[in-house]
Amino acid sequence: MRQILRQRELAADDWRYPGEAGGGPQALSFEQVTAAGAALPASAGVVVGATDDVRRLAPLLDRLALIVVHFEKNGDGRGYSQAQVLRQQLAYRGELRAAGALKRDHLFLLARCGFDAFDLDSAEDALAALAQLGRFTVAYQGASGTLVQPRLRG
Amino acid sequence: MYRYDDIDRTFLAERVAEFREQTRRFLAGELSEDEFRPLRLRNGLYIQTHAPMLRVAIPYGLLASRQLRMLAHIARRYDRNYGHFSTRQNIQYNWPKLAEVPDILAELATVEMHAIQTSGNCIRNVTADHLAGVASDELEDPRPWCELIRQWSTLHPEFYYLPRKFKIAVTGAATDRAASEVHDIGLHLVHGTDGSTGFEVLVGGGLGRMPMIGKRIRSFLPQLELLAYLEAILRVYNRHGRRDNIHRARIKVLVKSLGIEEFTRQVESEYAASRATAPRLDAAGIARMRAFFAPPDYRPLAPSEPATGAGAAFLAWYRHNTRVHKLSGYRVVFISLKKHGEPPGDMNDVQMDALAELADRYSFGQIRVTHDQNLVLADVEQSALSALHAALEPLGLATPNIGTLTDMICCPGLDFCSLANAGSIAIARQIDERFNDFDYLYDLGEIQVKMSGCMNACGHHHVGHIGILGVDKHGEEWYQITLGGSASGQVALGEVIGPSVPKARVASTIARILEVYLERREGSEETFLQAVRRLGIEPFKERVYAADTAAA
Repeated sequence: MRQILRQRELAADDWRYPGEAGGGPQALSFEQVTAAGAALPASAGVVVGATDDVRRLAPLLDRLALIVVHFEKNGDGRGYSQAQVLRQQLAYRGELRAAGALKRDHLFLLARCGFDAFDLDSAEDALAALAQLGRFTVAYQGASGTLVQPRLRG
Repeated sequence: MYRYDDIDRTFLAERVAEFREQTRRFLAGELSEDEFRPLRLRNGLYIQTHAPMLRVAIPYGLLASRQLRMLAHIARRYDRNYGHFSTRQNIQYNWPKLAEVPDILAELATVEMHAIQTSGNCIRNVTADHLAGVASDELEDPRPWCELIRQWSTLHPEFYYLPRKFKIAVTGAATDRAASEVHDIGLHLVHGTDGSTGFEVLVGGGLGRMPMIGKRIRSFLPQLELLAYLEAILRVYNRHGRRDNIHRARIKVLVKSLGIEEFTRQVESEYAASRATAPRLDAAGIARMRAFFAPPDYRPLAPSEPATGAGAAFLAWYRHNTRVHKLSGYRVVFISLKKHGEPPGDMNDVQMDALAELADRYSFGQIRVTHDQNLVLADVEQSALSALHAALEPLGLATPNIGTLTDMICCPGLDFCSLANAGSIAIARQIDERFNDFDYLYDLGEIQVKMSGCMNACGHHHVGHIGILGVDKHGEEWYQITLGGSASGQVALGEVIGPSVPKARVASTIARILEVYLERREGSEETFLQAVRRLGIEPFKERVYAADTAAA
């Protein structure tokens, strides 16, 4: 079973991504979830790609327990905006997981954008990564995550 | 100027510690070059032709004397005794050792300086008018806004991995001295009908391979909305800017492909959607920031002129290297970093230390960096000018050529940069040698020559009255010449006069262009740029290429 970081702890993932076999609940693709619409069962999970418009999930958020934002490439910053929109504008409160080409160096800003779970690059040392959440004790901007108190109001 | 508090200091110490650890991991083989690159770039560190290059931020071009002394110290201890001031008001060191960069950053932090976001695909150092606070045509000082933007953009969690670099310039004066119309975002301070402060917002300007002049997206943005609106622009760009092609990734390409109307609609829609959660400035915070940039303790002084008995060297310097100050009895002094034969923008440690001393003595301990690679002492008493000139001259810092042909903008070129096609510094030297007669330079009047060693346009060649661009032809250096560009007033991109010229003929080509100007100008009041605009490029083109035919 896949190890992830969730709520600042190492945890075994109970979800399967689209196309994965095994036990546990199956997360759906963005297309599947938006196509299901009102027929989406409760406590569903979805995997979002960089070009997907997360605002289309707005009417379904109370039925989503997990949103995985997939980062395909190192340096692709679109998922940070998706997280801010989900947390700030749409007030999504379920698990928001960053997955893909991510190292410990990305963790602090991801968490500031509201991600609370991380499925990092398989080569990354998850415990060393966890320590990065405490890398900065101050920040200038307001943001979705509540790691630190911002200097500027927001 | 702005002074750090505990939050700033804590943040910077944590940032230095982070980079020290990242550098250690890279050197230990725990991070690949691909993984390390975006991390080091966001700390100002490039890997160049000969060695790493470290670009240190000088936020909106403002330096305290103790900071300039630190820059001198770094040049001495970690580099080869000099630094290069860039066109974005930063300083670059060309010879640091990778393993020592964390130490350099730690030393910079002791004087409230850093190299954060001076490169990489993120929001870069915000630039401003180098005459902020002292220009007589200024509506409001842009620097408090620049500092607010600096703080807001520093490690902004959402906008740290943009499609491409992102540059913001702010001006508060009638004359644009910050090239704001060729920035990703240009902000112009304006007053609303009720007298309140706000911003005219331009978006999508830029140079590089696809030069474009910024388009207006808002004619009046209320001041408290500044950061909220910037976030809306950045979010639209972050989501929709192209990431598949580095040459199509700047915001200007998105603005062009959507059209300014559709782009504006998307930004306004994003702005409306984020009203409840976007950062909103408050009047107290703005007032607190303005207080940092309050005028220094000026003395009431009567206006005065240079003594009639002053020497010719002083008078030439006074006339060309000083400008009017908004207060009588004071002058703005330009420190030319364009000594003939030296690479434009370079300064050595001895000059830096000495200038820091002169700033303490004559200009409230502050120095500014201009986007055309000179320095400024902004608040010098008229009566001290003669002593200041006498001190600058032996330092090689009093070349009386500000605004003239040899006050060139020039990128580091092939000598240092791994992107360059051309040895810009050698061309600058060629031009300096050919045009070393000051009477001739003064007769020509104001001419801006801007030179880039490649299409990335670090030397802003598109907006030079005369632009020079290095191009590679089968491994040889050739140079394309443009005429009629301008970064302020009526902003314009230069027009290419024809096929590029070989390296040996750059200065002689410029000489022919200048001949046409001197023959055809309507009196010495008509500047070179005005003449090019009136005549078009044809007469210049004819002279440049007719001579080639004759010689062939």
